[in-house]
Amino acid sequence: MLKCIVKNLITKKKTIPFPEGFGISPEEEARLVSMQKKIHSIFGRSLRIRQVDAGSCNACEWECTALTNPIYDIQRFGIDFVASPRHADALIVTGPISRQMELALRKTYLATPEPRLVIACGDCAIDGGIYKGSYAVTNGVANVIPVDCYIPGCPPTPIQIIHGIEKLLDEVASKKVK
Amino acid sequence: MEWLMQKAIGKREYLNELYLEVKREDFREACLYLYNKKKALLRLMFATDERQKDGAFRVYTVFSIPGMDRFFIIFITLKEDLTFPSITKDIPAAHWYEREIRDMFGLVPEGHPDPRRLIFHDSFPENSYPLRKDWTISEEDLRDWGEGIKQKVPYKFLEVEGEGIHEIPVGPVHAGIIEPGHFRFSVVGEVIFFLEARLFYTHKGIEKHFESMSFFDGVKLAERVSGVSSFSHSAAYCMAVERMAGVEISQKAKAIRTLLIELERLYNHIGDIGNMCAGTGLAVGYAKGAIIKERLMQLNQRLTGSRYLRGINLIGGVSKDVLLQWEDILSTLDVVSKEYEELMDMLLGSVSHIERLENTGKLSKDIAQRLGVTGVAARASGINDDIRRAHPHLLYDRLNLRVHTMQKGDVFARMMVRAKEAETSMSIIRTILEGRYEGELTVEVKEIPEYASALGYTETPRGSVFYWVMSGKDYKPFRVKVRSPSYCNWPALPFAVHGNIVPDFPLCNKSFNLSYSGCDM
Repeated sequence: MLKCIVKNLITKKKTIPFPEGFGISPEEEARLVSMQKKIHSIFGRSLRIRQVDAGSCNACEWECTALTNPIYDIQRFGIDFVASPRHADALIVTGPISRQMELALRKTYLATPEPRLVIACGDCAIDGGIYKGSYAVTNGVANVIPVDCYIPGCPPTPIQIIHGIEKLLDEVASKKVK
Repeated sequence: MEWLMQKAIGKREYLNELYLEVKREDFREACLYLYNKKKALLRLMFATDERQKDGAFRVYTVFSIPGMDRFFIIFITLKEDLTFPSITKDIPAAHWYEREIRDMFGLVPEGHPDPRRLIFHDSFPENSYPLRKDWTISEEDLRDWGEGIKQKVPYKFLEVEGEGIHEIPVGPVHAGIIEPGHFRFSVVGEVIFFLEARLFYTHKGIEKHFESMSFFDGVKLAERVSGVSSFSHSAAYCMAVERMAGVEISQKAKAIRTLLIELERLYNHIGDIGNMCAGTGLAVGYAKGAIIKERLMQLNQRLTGSRYLRGINLIGGVSKDVLLQWEDILSTLDVVSKEYEELMDMLLGSVSHIERLENTGKLSKDIAQRLGVTGVAARASGINDDIRRAHPHLLYDRLNLRVHTMQKGDVFARMMVRAKEAETSMSIIRTILEGRYEGELTVEVKEIPEYASALGYTETPRGSVFYWVMSGKDYKPFRVKVRSPSYCNWPALPFAVHGNIVPDFPLCNKSFNLSYSGCDM
């Protein structure tokens, strides 16, 4: 037991590859696995995300849920979805921001500790998407809270969401250097 | 039936829809005649603002009698007096519809027991009815609505009083990756005594938005009413428009739609069974369900380019012949059915899992019937109703479809109904792939006469969905009414969780798997 603990402490943990037969290419995989290093260098340890649905059709949520299934399993990159904005480094906001969710979204944003990164996920979160122009939506996250990164797609696939998070990390890293 | 025909002052028949206009004073009696004497089910209820046509509002109720492929649509015309007799006290299934009509049109259901608003929250202005054709809203009102600080029409939650009762408010932002809604539990110790769900946080004005786009763009919007029922929603919408235009799609297009509806059911049901394991803490069951679901989602993507089967349905047919990829479908199905069997064996062999499911979240047949519950939830409570058999459409008249029911109405029954339906879906997909189908993928939809109307319907994984479309000018709909299954089933959830402990709530909720977006629209 003690041997095991010591071994785990000194050797670097290897990220387990994607399972076979699920259409993820080796290059893609290498790219995703390298994300872990980025997360470590920026956040010191891991990236915690709070998902907020602000009027989405629920497809984006299922894709976020799919990220935690045994195939994508983003926890192994050091990313996880948390239950409260108080525990989160970043928010993933989906949906065109229905007016009845606007207040709840603002409150969630304010409850998130700095740096309060915001990812707008899905076409509706970007500009209202198909619902654009309806009386009951605000046409995008940026009209309510500041956005750091956009992930297009209706809904974006799990891999596209991972790429989006990677994009966010790159942006944060470049800001840090400046 | 003769009695009803005598009462009708106007009669119109179109396909399997029988429109009967009755006088305002006969409205309640006519509805009750169908409901009590003929044991008809209330399928949907809605209003229209036809003032630009003939200066009147209309309120429609759609009934169907079990064993008869016909819709009885009773409607009344309201001109000066903007009230209509409420049928809620006799037909409880109407209670949300009537409140919605009041919120959206300002038509008052006289005698409705609940005077509160349903759709709009406190900061929405009073006496403002979005589905009226001449409705406008000021920038200031919109801003106030979003800010949510000014309480224009305060909503009063029902209060439960008594010794030891306390309230637990939850939401709208929940702990998991799910949609928003506010729940207020009144509990005694750990036992839920009463639950009030405040929904409509994701209200996006979809019915009004339909009116601003052409019939063809409407398909895209229908796909986005409820994410995981994208295909069945758009199929029902297309069906309504096609019926209205008097167009019959080809056998091939019908086969493709049937196949994809069943594929959608399959990934949902298996995913739901897996999700229920998350409710009981059986991680391995959840993981196995998620793997099978992912396989099916990736199959969806290979077939249609979308993991949610979007972009396939068109008015007049489908955009791609997915039957050409039959080998891929069959080989995936082989893997899936093997893994699915393993999953079910494991679940049914896990006493700790099954014990949590049995006798949890019971919904009695009586309550389910009165509230007009649909889909898996209804069949698990012993109601033998499935739109695919009650009103055969697409290829369902040819398929020998068995409707699976259970009697107990608990979480276990809902899991088992899903499990059996998933098997049926697999066999339907295999049967469809054995056949040969003639015809073009799409047929042309030419003229659609103004003020024509028709119903479109199908069975989504959650239950029956209905679209009622009335045409306007320039290939645009005049009115689209969407009735998603979740809208019928949400009111039943508080009854199912009554007497259960709070930690079992997520499990009950997952066993219904209701869509917030589909309900709130």
